[in-house]
Amino acid sequence: MSATRERRALVRRAFVDSLPVLMGYTTMGFVAGVLLAAKGNVVLGPLWGFLSSSMWVTGTMSFAFVPEVASRAPIYAIVLMTLAVNFRYAFYGFSMLARWKDVPFWHKAYLILMLTDENYALEVASPLKDRRRHLTYCTAISMFNHSYWVVGVTVGALVVCLLGMAIDPDVIRRHTDGMEFAMVALFLVIFTDQIRSFVGNGK
Amino acid sequence: MASEVLYMLGVVLAVFAVNYALRALPFLLFGGHGRELPGWVASLGNFVSPVIIAALIVYSYSALQWRTPWPYAAGALTIGLQLWRRSPLVSIVAGTLLYMCLLTCGCTTTEKSIAYDGAHPLIRFSNTGIRFKDEYVTPSRAVELLEQNKIPHDATIHILVDDDYTDRRATWVFQHNYLARAGYNRSVLVTKRVAKSAVAEAKPKEFSETKQTRPKIRYKKANE
Repeated sequence: MSATRERRALVRRAFVDSLPVLMGYTTMGFVAGVLLAAKGNVVLGPLWGFLSSSMWVTGTMSFAFVPEVASRAPIYAIVLMTLAVNFRYAFYGFSMLARWKDVPFWHKAYLILMLTDENYALEVASPLKDRRRHLTYCTAISMFNHSYWVVGVTVGALVVCLLGMAIDPDVIRRHTDGMEFAMVALFLVIFTDQIRSFVGNGK
Repeated sequence: MASEVLYMLGVVLAVFAVNYALRALPFLLFGGHGRELPGWVASLGNFVSPVIIAALIVYSYSALQWRTPWPYAAGALTIGLQLWRRSPLVSIVAGTLLYMCLLTCGCTTTEKSIAYDGAHPLIRFSNTGIRFKDEYVTPSRAVELLEQNKIPHDATIHILVDDDYTDRRATWVFQHNYLARAGYNRSVLVTKRVAKSAVAEAKPKEFSETKQTRPKIRYKKANE
C-alpha cells in the first residue's frame, strides 16, 4: 500500500517538474508540425508528424529534416545531418550509466530513446539517491514529455491538414514564411547554453 | 504517391536509427563494466558539440534570407534573451516572431531580393504558353504584371525557357517588342538547370562566347 502511495507521489512530482517542458514541447512541437505539413505534404503531414514524433523526440531534427525532405534530399544526406545535429546526445548517456545499471533491457531501451536535452537536464538534476525511486521518476518524466511532444507535433500538422482542405495550401505556405527561423533559434539557444557551461567549467 | 510514402518511411526510420544509436552509444561501449568515463571523452564532448552546432548555425542561415539584415536581428534577439532570461521557449518564440514580422513588414527588401533572385524567374516560356508565376498570360499582360509587382526597370528579368521549347523567334519578339518597349532592357533567357545560379556573376568567358554566336539573344547554356 505504501509502495503504491510512494510511487504516486513520485509520479506527481515528475509531473510538476515536467510542466516547463509541457510549455516548451507543445509549442515547439506545434510549430514543427505546422512546418512539416506546410512545407511538405499537406495531406499526409499528420501521419508523418505522428510517426516521427513518436519514434524520435529530437526537436532539432524535427525542424532540420523539413527542408531536406521538401527538396527530396537523399537519405544518406539526412543520415549525415542527423549525426551532426544529434552528436551531443552521445555524451548524455555517460552520466546515466551507473544509475541505470540494473534496469531491465526494454525498460532501459525506452529511457535511452527519451534521452533528450530536457529529460537529461531533469534526470541529472534530480536529487533522488535511491536507484529504484530515481528509476520511477525518470520513467514518469520520459512518458510525460514524450506525450507532450507527440501531441504538439501531431496537432500542428493536423491543423495545417484541415486548413489545407478549406484554403489553398499555397496560401498556408506563404503565411508560414519565416517560421523556419525557429530551427536556427533553437540552434542559437543550444549554442549559447553550451558556451555558457563551457565558460563556467573553465572558472 | 507510393514512392513518396516509401521515401518518408525511409527518412523516418533512418533518423530513428541514427538518433537511437547515438543515444545508446555510451551504454554499448561501457555498459556491463561500470567503468569510469575517461576524462578525454568528456572534454571532447564539451569541445566538439559547440563547434558542430556553430557549423549548423552557419549552414541553416544560408537557407534564410541571409542577404537581408532580418535574420541577424532576430538572431541577436534570441541570443540576448537566452543570456538574460535563460528560458529557451521565450527566446525561440520571440526570435521567430521577430523574423516573421521583419520578413513581412520589410517587404521592400525581400521583394527586391526575390526579383533579383534567379531562382525564381517570374516569366516562363513553354510549349503550352507564357506563364507569369504559374498563371497563363498574354505577352502584354506579363509586362503589365511586372510593373504591377514594382520590378524596377534596371532589374535583370530572368525568363525561364523550358528545355523542349525551341521557338527562339517568340522569345526574341517578347524580349524586344514587349519587354524592351516597356523599359525592361535587360532580360536573360535561362534554362531550368542554370536558373539557380543565374543571379551570381555569369562566367564572363562563356557569356561572351554565347554573345558572339547569337548576337541578339543572350542565351545561357546549362553548364551542368
